[in-house]
Amino acid sequence: MDANQSSPPKLTRRNYSKIIRPIFGILVLGYILWRLYLVLIVEQAYSAEVWVRLLISGLIIGGVYALIAIGYTLVYGILFMINFAHGEVMMIGTFAGYFLFEITKGINVAGAGNPPLSFSDAYPFLSVILAFLVGMTVSATAGYFLEKIAYRPLRGAPRLIPLISAIGASFFLQNAAQLLFSPQVRDYANPQAIARGSGWNLMINESRIVITYTGVLTFVLSILLMIGLYVMVQKTKLGKAMRAVASDKKTAALMGIDVDAIISRTFIISGALAGAAGVMWGLHNGLVHFYVGFLPGIKAFTAAVLGGIGNIPGAMLGGMFLGLVESLGPTALGISFQLKDVIAFLIMIVILVFRPSGLLGEVLSEEKV
Amino acid sequence: MNKETIRTGSQKGLLFGIVMIFLVLINFHIMAATMISKVLGTNVLRGAFPEVRFMIIFLVIFGMWAGWSAVRREGSTTNKLFEGLIGGMTTGLVVALFGLILFFLLETQTDVRRYLTALSFASIDIFLLGLRGMGILTLFGLFTLTGVLGGALAVGLRSQAVANFIKKIKTSIRNLRQRITDSLPDNVKKYGKYIFYLLLLVLLLLLPARWGSYNNFVFGMVGIYVILGIGLNIMLGLSGQFMIGIAALFAMGAYSVALLNSPFPHGLMWGFWPSLAVGVVMAVIGGLLLGLPIMRLRGDYLGIVTLGFGEIIRILLNSDLLTDLTGGPRGIQNIQQPTFLGMPFNDVSYAYLIIIAMAVSIFLYYRIENSRTGRAWLSIKEDALVSQATGVDVQKYKLLALCVGAAFAGLAGGIFAARNQFTGPNDHTLMVSINVLSVVIVGGINSIPGIILGSFALRGLPELLRELETYRLLVFGALLVFMMIVRPEGLWPASRPDLEEKGNTGLKEDLDPEENEGRSDD
Repeated sequence: MDANQSSPPKLTRRNYSKIIRPIFGILVLGYILWRLYLVLIVEQAYSAEVWVRLLISGLIIGGVYALIAIGYTLVYGILFMINFAHGEVMMIGTFAGYFLFEITKGINVAGAGNPPLSFSDAYPFLSVILAFLVGMTVSATAGYFLEKIAYRPLRGAPRLIPLISAIGASFFLQNAAQLLFSPQVRDYANPQAIARGSGWNLMINESRIVITYTGVLTFVLSILLMIGLYVMVQKTKLGKAMRAVASDKKTAALMGIDVDAIISRTFIISGALAGAAGVMWGLHNGLVHFYVGFLPGIKAFTAAVLGGIGNIPGAMLGGMFLGLVESLGPTALGISFQLKDVIAFLIMIVILVFRPSGLLGEVLSEEKV
Repeated sequence: MNKETIRTGSQKGLLFGIVMIFLVLINFHIMAATMISKVLGTNVLRGAFPEVRFMIIFLVIFGMWAGWSAVRREGSTTNKLFEGLIGGMTTGLVVALFGLILFFLLETQTDVRRYLTALSFASIDIFLLGLRGMGILTLFGLFTLTGVLGGALAVGLRSQAVANFIKKIKTSIRNLRQRITDSLPDNVKKYGKYIFYLLLLVLLLLLPARWGSYNNFVFGMVGIYVILGIGLNIMLGLSGQFMIGIAALFAMGAYSVALLNSPFPHGLMWGFWPSLAVGVVMAVIGGLLLGLPIMRLRGDYLGIVTLGFGEIIRILLNSDLLTDLTGGPRGIQNIQQPTFLGMPFNDVSYAYLIIIAMAVSIFLYYRIENSRTGRAWLSIKEDALVSQATGVDVQKYKLLALCVGAAFAGLAGGIFAARNQFTGPNDHTLMVSINVLSVVIVGGINSIPGIILGSFALRGLPELLRELETYRLLVFGALLVFMMIVRPEGLWPASRPDLEEKGNTGLKEDLDPEENEGRSDD
């Protein structure tokens, strides 16, 4: 002991990750470059129009992921918990939109055409707006009650406890939806004005690319919602309070902020975003079932982690990035489309290995991790 | 009667009313009435509806519960009764309004089953007690009445007299226990633990041969989850690494045994025992490969990376890419059955195999936990930086934890594949990882009895409660939330955290398990 006093103590004997990480990185990067070289330069199998098509679909799906990811990130930023039931909140919003469309389809507008038009055909834009409003409201309510019932009693418990509670809530909501609405897959409403598959035509190399109306709606609306959220968090009093609670709950409470109310509102906001994402998902993909929220939920969570969880621009970036990787990746690397999730998860692992707190994530302090 | 009385009463009543509506919408009331009918000795044929009187019993129980929970702890007796009354009345009002809608649907013969799948006319009819319009009023009256009854029950059972009575019983039980322990000779006291283990062993040896193949199947499932839980606990509970991808390691064990023992796709027939060893080794390699690049990650980041790893393995198994190697989405069928000393395996031998594997796992777990390695893990879990500064090679021990945990997962996977004679990608989904995580947390982290109990509660009970089949996962989810709120430390929490609060100095004696047990019993 005494003999070693002069030299600084050697903290780590062998730093495996120092050796392994570069090897891992070079292997992955090398593989990606090799495949890209093969596909893009040697084979040249795909023309520009394929890439544009994939790019567009990647942006659309990325917008949806980003919206859901923001919900994860907002909650994580404040409570440091993975809201595992967030995908189910989205599912609830999808169903709410579905039922609204079914109702508007059922209402006949008197005196508008012969045979009488249904409300959704007579006022397609109004019914779409209504569906979004209803979906967002219902999801926000679901988020509020989810927090109140499943998470609020667990304030201050060890980190794993709320996670298990969230998993339980997720199971519960999924199965409740299955029991209520049956496990069948239903067709989502397809309003004629923005029918799936129809859209603006874009000519590239004399081949037609359809930019679908639903896709544009999804993308534009998600960007608008994200901007709105960002402005809200940065400029309004509520946003300020949210940031205060996220950085230090105790001090925020001492400054006169009602921490519980802010947490409730955070869940309401993230629920509303998930509801909007759900209705978009339904309109764009045309399907709704009780399992609809699970996969987007997992993906969006991945996106949130990718961007640096707790960081709102990070979630947006992560969502977009994941959407693009998912849609461009398989083609760019010349891999079967079945493996798009493998690519997405692999990219996430690679990024986390080199940037352990995500793309835009701060280096979290010990207590937060 | 004051404002508070009305508020609590109506709030609880509203809540219970909504719950009742939900239960009717998922057809739970029919199931409950059927169960009650079976308990009371009137069997109900499958697909048939129970008699109305059993429905009334269910509603009475529900209404009394509503009244009971509407009663606050403080306030005078009249106040409490009023709270019960208001609770029951609000529930009744909500349910009656709902009944009105149902009645309307019934009268106009509007079929809403396209949207609300459980709401058939027969189900509505029995909920309205077969009285149609009058049923609405009856429901309202019933809930009001039972609300008061529940309130009265709450007043009665929460009264001082009952509390004293329960206290008396508790003391007498404690006295009795004390007397029995005192009367036992010292030898028995000293070896009581071992006698208990011996009895357990005898029970475990006798039961599998007796209780039929279905129970053996359920028991095997529980045992496999116990082994998996031990593996996860080494990663999560001992070394503090948040792992949600244990299904991948489980899959490595299962696929090793399956691929080396089936006619298709490779036609290798290595036999069970060597391939089980290969499975364990493969899982360890998997753990190592997973662990090496991600050593720097912590907390939830580690969780999501392991989740991604699990998904990658599952998708790869499911894809066309590996169909030639692993059989693709169809999985691997006809896995050759193991033999022991020339005897082929049946369900009883599998039960014994699982018991032995479980016993070995538990033994190994305790040995590791109390070794230098185990203490190094615990110190890393408490504070990685400090333990590094005190000379613990954090990375080595973290990797070791992943590898050791993976070995258990591989063992469980190998047994699982052989026992089912089949394994496919769907046996290794994210749900498996989540289930194992739930088993460990619900049972009690770092507590072997807890993990066993958790496996029984989460894997065994749902299999045995086939009656509830449709509602199994719903109840499971609600139960998880409920457990976390009511008993977050788990069903059978470990004794170590208590010691730490009492001022554990970290000396070797304090970590001795025998000492711990002695103290926690005090």
